[in-house]
Amino acid sequence: MPEKHTSGRRMTESQAALVLLLPFLATYALFLVYPFFRGIWISLHDWNLMAVAFNPDAKEFVGLHNYERVMWGKDITWGALISPVQQVIGVLGFGLSIFLHRIGWVSKVTAVALGVAAILLFVLPGFHPAEGGRWYDRRFWPTVGNTLIFVGLTVPGVVVSALLLAAAVNRETRAMSAFRTLFFLSQIMSVTVVTLIWQIMFSPRQGLIANITETFGGSPIVWLTDEHLAMAAIVITTIWWSLGIAMILFLAGLQDISKDLYEAAALDNATGAKAFWHITLPNLKRTITLVIVLQVILQFQVFGQAHLMTRGGPNDSTQVLVRYIYQTAFRDSDLGRASAMAVFLFVIMGAFSVLQFVLGREED
Amino acid sequence: MLNRGYYWLITALAVPAFLWLIPTIWMVSLSFQPNEVLARTTSTTAFGLIPLPFTIENYVALFSFGQTPLWFLNSLIVAAGMALGVLLVSTTSGYALARLDFPFKKSLTIICLIGLMVPEQAVFIPLYTMFADLGWHNSYQALILPRLAVPIGVFLMMQFFKAIPDDIEEAARLDGVTWLQIFWYVMLPLARPAMMTLAILTVLYAWNDYLWPLVSAQRQEFFTITLGLASIQSNFAQSEGLGRVMASGVIASLPVVIMFLIFQRYVVQAMTVGGSKG
Repeated sequence: MPEKHTSGRRMTESQAALVLLLPFLATYALFLVYPFFRGIWISLHDWNLMAVAFNPDAKEFVGLHNYERVMWGKDITWGALISPVQQVIGVLGFGLSIFLHRIGWVSKVTAVALGVAAILLFVLPGFHPAEGGRWYDRRFWPTVGNTLIFVGLTVPGVVVSALLLAAAVNRETRAMSAFRTLFFLSQIMSVTVVTLIWQIMFSPRQGLIANITETFGGSPIVWLTDEHLAMAAIVITTIWWSLGIAMILFLAGLQDISKDLYEAAALDNATGAKAFWHITLPNLKRTITLVIVLQVILQFQVFGQAHLMTRGGPNDSTQVLVRYIYQTAFRDSDLGRASAMAVFLFVIMGAFSVLQFVLGREED
Repeated sequence: MLNRGYYWLITALAVPAFLWLIPTIWMVSLSFQPNEVLARTTSTTAFGLIPLPFTIENYVALFSFGQTPLWFLNSLIVAAGMALGVLLVSTTSGYALARLDFPFKKSLTIICLIGLMVPEQAVFIPLYTMFADLGWHNSYQALILPRLAVPIGVFLMMQFFKAIPDDIEEAARLDGVTWLQIFWYVMLPLARPAMMTLAILTVLYAWNDYLWPLVSAQRQEFFTITLGLASIQSNFAQSEGLGRVMASGVIASLPVVIMFLIFQRYVVQAMTVGGSKG
């Protein structure tokens, strides 16, 4: 060993640890911990971006007022069948979570998580302004709703297609490894490249989809400016973009399933789809749950697709939470209200992170 | 395994695989077609999937004027800076947390990893005000620094250092080598594969990052290629021409695609570890 650092020879283990930890702890404290608490602090103020930039004292402490302005309204009441579809799904979902746990398809943690989500789905849409009342922010809850619709469409799409693909390409041959690379490739493109491609794919005048429909005598569909199709277009784009990582995680899960199980099943004539249903799915339950939770966390943060492809439109039909936070902060300069929404986002995502952590620890 | 069913599977997979590739092929193909043709129709040959008539004019134009080369350079600087920074803070802290003994170790580990719960969207507004107070927006440090505090890097390195057998370190310690020397001369060389994984993951992340550069870099000189591409795609048809915008898209993707194809093994490994735990 070189004879440098002779002064370090007297350094104790704790001192060495401190020196080595310092770079990370410093950046971590400065750029994550402090901003996090500062975000909460901003959310308790009436804080205009421009005004405070010119005069640091131009902010006013308002307590939880921003949260009220974002989430609450005048004369809000609650009813059991205000949004019948969501609320009935909530009740059914609650029953389903108990049922799935009883028959042993899902673990306790998963059942509890599903149950809580179902209760929220029953309770939250029941709030509404009474006669003469109104929401202080008309756009917030519809935006949350759009985000949930996006997550609700994208996550199953990604999970189901990634699972089927992973099961199909799970062989160590050259052709299969080429397929794996190919299906993963779109994942590593940036959101701006992905939206660039798909914006033009969906274009009614220049788009590939329109060109093909026209050749077969159809009239081109105006995807991105149609209130009902815009969200579908963004969901398709996102599935194309983010299938890769889910497939990789499923492949890792598939590697852990013993080959003996399949060989034993083959003796009972269970191959192909039968083997997939009776062996692959039950043994992959943990991975499936983890991928779902991860995808929910990932897709809940959707921003670029809605920002670049539709600008949240038409008529706010693709306005999502992060884009609303961005606009409230940097277009309307209302940092207080935007921060309150960011805290709301953190609470939801934090709940899913805890769930992910608990699920990761479960079993084994 | 190589029976008839296998060849049937390959054929069956070829269809979705081709569909999956079409958008990418289309982008590449459009980037090689003249703008005058694209202004009339995008489906000249085989729905535009084959670049006929062919031209490389779009790429020549891209590099002779416009700001794409500068944005490309900015992306390289930011990605390299971020990768170096993340490696520095993650290897040191990962080693300390995994292999050294010190007071409050357990609580410190939890504190370091709990940050995994905080999404960037929860901190980008306060970060914006902090950097505005410092007057640091529109600079490389503004694009790089907030991204060094990534607990996932610490987690990856910690897992790696934990797996190294004790006797290697023990032998060095008996020779009277200091802790920092063990870290530098013994541990870091062993950690090369894990550092490689982390570096690739960070470069991919830096290259594709969008939200933070969008709020921090308002001047075009400090746009990354991802951000620059977003700024020209909104009015592509009028100003730049479709072919040129598509060429920018190809150029913007090329480095990460090439990197992925070369280091696929590392990327997949990183995604698996990072995905299931972080």
